[in-house]
Amino acid sequence: MRGTSTIIGLTLALGALPSDAAQPAAPDFSGVWARLTFGFERPASGQGPIGRYHNQSNVGGNFESPNLTPSAAAIVKQRSEILRSGRDYPNPSLNCWPMVSPYIFRVQEMQMLQKKDEVVFLFMQDHQVRRVRLNSTHPAKVTPSWYGDSVGHYEGDTLVVDTIGARIAREPVLDMYGSPYTDALHVIERYRLVDYEVAKAAQDKNIRDAGPVATEQAASVDEAYQGKGLQIEFTVEDKNVFKKPWSAVVTWRRAGGWVENVCAENAYEYYSGGLTDIPRADRPEF
Amino acid sequence: MRAGATVALLALCMAAPARADAVPDFSGIWARTTFGYDLAPSGPGPLKNLARRPNGTSDAFKLVGDYNNPILQPWAAAIVKQHGLISLAGKSYPDLSNECRPLPPPYVLRIAQMQMLQEKDRITILYIQDHQFRQVRLNGTHPAKVVPSWIGDSVGHYEGDTLVIDTVGIRTEPTSLIDMYGTPHTPALHVIERYRLIDAEAAKQEQERSEHEYGRPTTEPVYVDFDYRGKGLQAEFTVEDPGTFTRSWGSSVAYRRSSVREWGEIACAENTADYYAGATATVPTAERPDF
Repeated sequence: MRGTSTIIGLTLALGALPSDAAQPAAPDFSGVWARLTFGFERPASGQGPIGRYHNQSNVGGNFESPNLTPSAAAIVKQRSEILRSGRDYPNPSLNCWPMVSPYIFRVQEMQMLQKKDEVVFLFMQDHQVRRVRLNSTHPAKVTPSWYGDSVGHYEGDTLVVDTIGARIAREPVLDMYGSPYTDALHVIERYRLVDYEVAKAAQDKNIRDAGPVATEQAASVDEAYQGKGLQIEFTVEDKNVFKKPWSAVVTWRRAGGWVENVCAENAYEYYSGGLTDIPRADRPEF
Repeated sequence: MRAGATVALLALCMAAPARADAVPDFSGIWARTTFGYDLAPSGPGPLKNLARRPNGTSDAFKLVGDYNNPILQPWAAAIVKQHGLISLAGKSYPDLSNECRPLPPPYVLRIAQMQMLQEKDRITILYIQDHQFRQVRLNGTHPAKVVPSWIGDSVGHYEGDTLVIDTVGIRTEPTSLIDMYGTPHTPALHVIERYRLIDAEAAKQEQERSEHEYGRPTTEPVYVDFDYRGKGLQAEFTVEDPGTFTRSWGSSVAYRRSSVREWGEIACAENTADYYAGATATVPTAERPDF
């Protein structure tokens, strides 16, 4: 009997050995996650994103939102006018730039690799990689970068990610509504698993509210999968752009696959600063 | 005593699977000091640059692959020669690295820093250039019909202390290449990589041999931690492509611990091409010149 107790004790001890794959108490976010729209879901209460202008397609963000500062409203309006003219304003998705959070949630498939001391996010569009240091702090002086400096920790079943230090590009774009951002940007994300029914209802509502995506997408949801979904609640602060913080939600379900989705194929020569001598046809193909 | 023996036996039994499952630990950030493949001391190896600097090293700004190397099929030799002429004229030929496209193996080995994330059923390899990554299914097989992609379909397994990665299905384009000289390939390209830890001194010597051939990059810093005395990482690889090469050939590259603990961003793509509209995006324009 004593021997049996010892064996059980040993088994428990071995079972409790720490693993590098994930912290023992951390929720398991592994797998490929997908969503089928670009838009955010509005929060249950409180200030939400500026949204689309009069909730119409292809007219940009609501530059009349009272939550925008005057300078930010002017930028959103200018971007809206470009869209109305049938063209696009520069933005990371079209121009193959790395995407800051929460703009990066428009990428419709992603994976989370949970390591002991970091979480690595893989995004399908243009093979983007985002890193979050766990149980760490931001440096006293952050070097601005496209993704910013992200630290995170687990709070029970929730991964909390805090990001500052996003690089201020010439045309900073924070969301699909055309909101800009400044060096005051601060984003807090909270990741947790939700039941299948919750995830499906949230995705279905988002499609009803935002409308289906107009163009064919590489992403797909595994409709047969009825396991947990993933929901991210996030809050955005940037006093130079928004009069008060706002929140939104994005909901993911198990993806139907993962494909290579490359954005950048350009003839610009990085080192010489010129155009590459690309092949030319001797005669037209028509 | 019986109980003690039982526990000891059980402990051994439980430890046995752990040893069987033990895999080499490739964690950490790894760095190289050159872009090139190690030249084979004997046997068929990678192309050598015919353009040399006064000090005898390969001229990184004049890339003339040895189009006389007998491993090249005639059509491939002609392309390598053509690229060499473009480079000698001071221009650049299309290159996946310069144009921000994903790099297939073995060309991806030119990237100066990488990191392996080892999981039970897959390996994710992160590369610092243009936030590229590859995912390798462990103990899997290639699909019967592979959908071609820039980085191909990779499966892997461990053989003792070695990780073996097998890649097929690499997309072919008019500008496809597998080395810095623009050597092309066909859809039959098959690359086998073998990763294993090697002693610090062996890694140091291999990197120094590579520097002796290629010199260190003049366009960017070197990120090797030269004070680190721990293990290095060697990637041996074999290339098969009967349509391009007269025989299979091999080479290797050596990594050592990177001097950076958290790597920065190297975003390659900043272009104004509008993906959906097929036109140029509305970029800001100055009303007057800056000078």
